[in-house]
Amino acid sequence: MPEQSPPYEPKIVAFLCKWCSSAGSDLAGVSRLQYPANATPITVMCSGSVSPQYILSAFKKGADGVLVSGCHIGDCHYMEGNYLARRKIYLVNELLQFIGIEPQRFRMSWVSAAEGAKFAKVIKDFVEDLKPLGPQEKLKGQRP
Amino acid sequence: MSNLEALRDQAKKLLAKGEVRAVIGYRKGSRGMAAEPVVITRPEEAATLVWDPTCFHNLALYLVEDQKRLGKEKQKADKPIAIVAKGCDARAIVVLMQENYFKREDVYILGVSCETTGMVDERKLACLGFGTLQSASFRGDDFVFSTVSGEKRVAASEVLADRCLECRAPFPKVHDVVFGAEKARSLASPFAALLQFEKSKTSIADRWEFWQHQFERCIRCFACRAVCPMCYCEECIVDSTRFVVAPDTTAEEKANRLRWIERSATQSDNMGYHLTRALHLAGRCIDCGECDRVCPVRIPLRLLNTRLEREVRETFGYDPGASVDVASFVSSFRDNDPGNFIR
Repeated sequence: MPEQSPPYEPKIVAFLCKWCSSAGSDLAGVSRLQYPANATPITVMCSGSVSPQYILSAFKKGADGVLVSGCHIGDCHYMEGNYLARRKIYLVNELLQFIGIEPQRFRMSWVSAAEGAKFAKVIKDFVEDLKPLGPQEKLKGQRP
Repeated sequence: MSNLEALRDQAKKLLAKGEVRAVIGYRKGSRGMAAEPVVITRPEEAATLVWDPTCFHNLALYLVEDQKRLGKEKQKADKPIAIVAKGCDARAIVVLMQENYFKREDVYILGVSCETTGMVDERKLACLGFGTLQSASFRGDDFVFSTVSGEKRVAASEVLADRCLECRAPFPKVHDVVFGAEKARSLASPFAALLQFEKSKTSIADRWEFWQHQFERCIRCFACRAVCPMCYCEECIVDSTRFVVAPDTTAEEKANRLRWIERSATQSDNMGYHLTRALHLAGRCIDCGECDRVCPVRIPLRLLNTRLEREVRETFGYDPGASVDVASFVSSFRDNDPGNFIR
């Protein structure tokens, strides 16, 4: 047993758009890029389909950080899904900070299917930001 | 100030001519001086209508109830329903029309202007220690309350509800007929209460401490939901009314049914409920402040709603309840919406 306890390993729930970020994460995998394994990917059809409820629910179930990742502006498979997501997620982000959730815990990114390296970087940065914060207890429910 | 007799006459005329099915308005309530909502259907009842500083209820709620009732009874209304609407009520009606909840011709709006005053905040009034109050009335920029020890005249700005102090549009812009004039006024700057809160709670930790304390008190009575004209969902995310428990429903089905938020009043579920509600109201909340007024444990819900309203207005340039013809906030976007928070 090591004497020092290992640093906290945060759990991340990542909502990834099927058309881009999900493929981006695949590319990171097949390119053998090394990045932390803390993120649990959940593939959604579009970042615009991510309801604020999914985000709150992930926090309630004990996620230490939540990532929503979609296609770059102008690249949406459904033409305007990511425009709608940008508006909605902006408000979620503002509201979470307003009630006193650390801004590092929630993140949005645009990752295309060709940006495996960017996906790896987004996850790596996220994990690094979350480690010092420790477990997320604020929105976590008593029952899982 | 709005002429009550003119309002009564108009309601009487509409009902007598059979132009409307009913008139939704206010009458003298049974709780002290406070007015209460009433639906009248006969012309002679028009004399019971009142208009005073205690008409705080947002009557647009009853238009929603009316539509729900018609829907359940599978009926179609042949005539419009008339409604007494303040500036905020009229904005709520606009949002409902924008969302195609009903059409413009289904409703006859009897607009009333709050002019330079608005509605009284009973909590602020209680601090003045007037004892039992029998009635309240407008008098210029002041309110007059009749108490057991005679009349008391108070400057309206002292006892106005925060939402009325910060009100931008005390005049119902969308109306069929309007009582009272459109007057310029400036009682408090918009978002004054929110700005004061933000000044006192600057750090993340302070804000968390504040909201944690607020949300742990919520008893989940759902008064905020019941009073909100925008909370018209048949099935709220916290109630699974459509999950039918029949004799053959298995334990597994019951256990696995979708529960986003539990009904139990635990802190995390309370928070989930209030945050979800605030987000569902983003770009729709017209700041009638009713949720805040009816909360029995005094959770400052208006802060949450005005926080998002400020973003909607200042960041996205969207004015909730201003026009029926624009797309709703969450179903529209602009190319230059902020994206600098995205990595």
